[in-house]
Amino acid sequence: MKSVPKLIRRFVGILLLSSILIVVFNFIALAIITAYQSPNGSPWITADETAEALQSIEQGYVLSDEMTTELHKENTWAIYIDNATGKSVWHSDNLPESIPLEFTASDIANLTRGYIDGYPTFTGEAEDGLIILGYPKDSYWKHMWPSWDYRFIENLPQTILAVLAANVLLIFIIYMVVNTKLLKSIKPIADGIQALPTEQPVCLKEKGVLSELYIKINRTSEILQSQNYQLRKKETARANWIAGVSHDIRTPLSMVMGYAGQLESDTHLSDEERKKATVILRQSERMKNLINDLNLASKLEYNMQPIKPKQENMVAIARQVVVDFIDIGIGDKYHIKWLTDNSLNTCIVNANKDLIKRAIGNLIQNSINHNKNGCKIFVSVTADNNRCCISVADDGIGATDEQIEKLNNSPHYMVCDENTSEQRHGLGLLIVKQIISSHNGETIIEQSQYGGFEVKLILPL
Amino acid sequence: MDFNYLKQKRILLVDDEQEILDMVLSILNEDGFHNIQTAKSMKEAILAANKFVPELAILDIMLPDGDGFALMEQLKSQADYPILFLTARGEDEDKFRGFDLGADDYIVKPFLPKELTYRINAILRRSYKDENPIVKLYNSEIDFDRAEVIKDGEHIALTAKEYDILIALYHNAGHIVTIDALCEAAWGDNPFGYQNSLMAHICRIREKIEKSPSQPVSLITIKGLGYKLIVEGK
Repeated sequence: MKSVPKLIRRFVGILLLSSILIVVFNFIALAIITAYQSPNGSPWITADETAEALQSIEQGYVLSDEMTTELHKENTWAIYIDNATGKSVWHSDNLPESIPLEFTASDIANLTRGYIDGYPTFTGEAEDGLIILGYPKDSYWKHMWPSWDYRFIENLPQTILAVLAANVLLIFIIYMVVNTKLLKSIKPIADGIQALPTEQPVCLKEKGVLSELYIKINRTSEILQSQNYQLRKKETARANWIAGVSHDIRTPLSMVMGYAGQLESDTHLSDEERKKATVILRQSERMKNLINDLNLASKLEYNMQPIKPKQENMVAIARQVVVDFIDIGIGDKYHIKWLTDNSLNTCIVNANKDLIKRAIGNLIQNSINHNKNGCKIFVSVTADNNRCCISVADDGIGATDEQIEKLNNSPHYMVCDENTSEQRHGLGLLIVKQIISSHNGETIIEQSQYGGFEVKLILPL
Repeated sequence: MDFNYLKQKRILLVDDEQEILDMVLSILNEDGFHNIQTAKSMKEAILAANKFVPELAILDIMLPDGDGFALMEQLKSQADYPILFLTARGEDEDKFRGFDLGADDYIVKPFLPKELTYRINAILRRSYKDENPIVKLYNSEIDFDRAEVIKDGEHIALTAKEYDILIALYHNAGHIVTIDALCEAAWGDNPFGYQNSLMAHICRIREKIEKSPSQPVSLITIKGLGYKLIVEGK
């Protein structure tokens, strides 16, 4: 099945594209969020501003009103530690009781990067000491150990790419594992559907996730097979019926022809009586030909006539047919002209000699039958572009464009399933078309350059 | 050529329908054949063949106690003479089977009386030709047995190819034989590309059989199609 790899390619393509799009989307989202969040240095700035706003006076230190208001608004406490002693020399009114008033160096180090008693703290450097701001407990989250191995940072681009690739691979593997089973169960369905139009019987194992579909396809195949069998049976019965009738009619017709033939040449009979015998004989012959044609046409139609092709020389076959017609004597009114180029002696086609002879013979006979006042019949064989063209043309009464169009395109009444009231043409041309079509060739009916009717039989070399 | 001796040949006619037997008998009688024995079944035919010793048998295929193919094999096992099938079975397979078994001709019913008599005469001529081997032309005679032409009392030998070409023409004397059929007769199953050689051989044959080879009267050219041999009496 050609469409499965295409389907897989498409699925994998969509998958890879989606993975890449998701990663890109995530990066964009991260960038937007971090742009809003960072750099979030406002507590540190506030601490620096507080340090600047703290004024040293005689009684100690005082914070400007403006800054005090701002700290209150944020619900933030502040404490100022003297560099020399490590003791608090000033603090805001709202300092919680749990906050110590004396700090060791390690306390300072801890609070700088982390918390005091759960309060996130930020420091600002003043002239002789350090301002510590304490924000409410749930206002900030601080990353306390922001340090990485240098090589890790150095290799970060490769690491990111490797992780991304690993992610994509992982997604792909998950996808394949999940979908292979599904594809496996779809494959028989696709194979089955593809086999249906070719009239092959389909038999899928009716189990698995899609068993219901399998069952339906199996049933469809059974119905098609049964319909085909019935149709074939009907066609065979029809062809056999025609063959049977044509066989059974041969013996009685033999009697009619035999005795009519004798009467025709009986010198004891009057001319008029012998003429009547001639009419009986000619009409019996027509019946005989009709039976033969009907039998052959029905067999060709239902593919019951084995073609058994061999390498045959079309020039020799056409020449033999022409000679046969000249030999049996077609009368002075008809002249057959052999127009094949003398340099073309062979034109080999894989064909059934007898059927091709029959086709050419039918065409010459058609020209004779349709031109009661006589005509010239031109037979030629040409070969070009890997095709062999056998042409039978005449300079007789010909046909109108409309009639030619009908002959080329309307189905014969014998093979037409609709309107059978209009009898289009005899079996001769139908047989020609059937023979040529069974040789994968083409029959072209057209106006002849000689003023009459022309049929070209095109056969692949 | 006088073929009256052929009318004396003994003919065995086998068909299960009396009316057909009567009609064929009447056709053959009218054509001059009177030495005819009829049979309606295989059994009758074998008995008749033993007593009558036919020189030609005309067989139907569908017989009440067997088929014509089996009958033919039995008849041929006793004596070798030409056999013609006259049957309503017109399928190619039947024809091929008949010819495969060695039948000389196969006619499908219905048939024209003349067609039957022409074919019987042709088979008899071919089968019993030894009795009259000299073929008379306008200006010469051909002795196929000795492969030579007799012109003005002079015996001129035919080459192998000339013989093959002439015999093919003689078997269809009075009819056109296509260039392709003559090439096949002379050069076998792969006769392509011998058209020019054929023309050369025809010229040499004319020199042997014609009085004036440039104006042939016995071996006629049918332009583009083939050649025709005109034999006295045909």
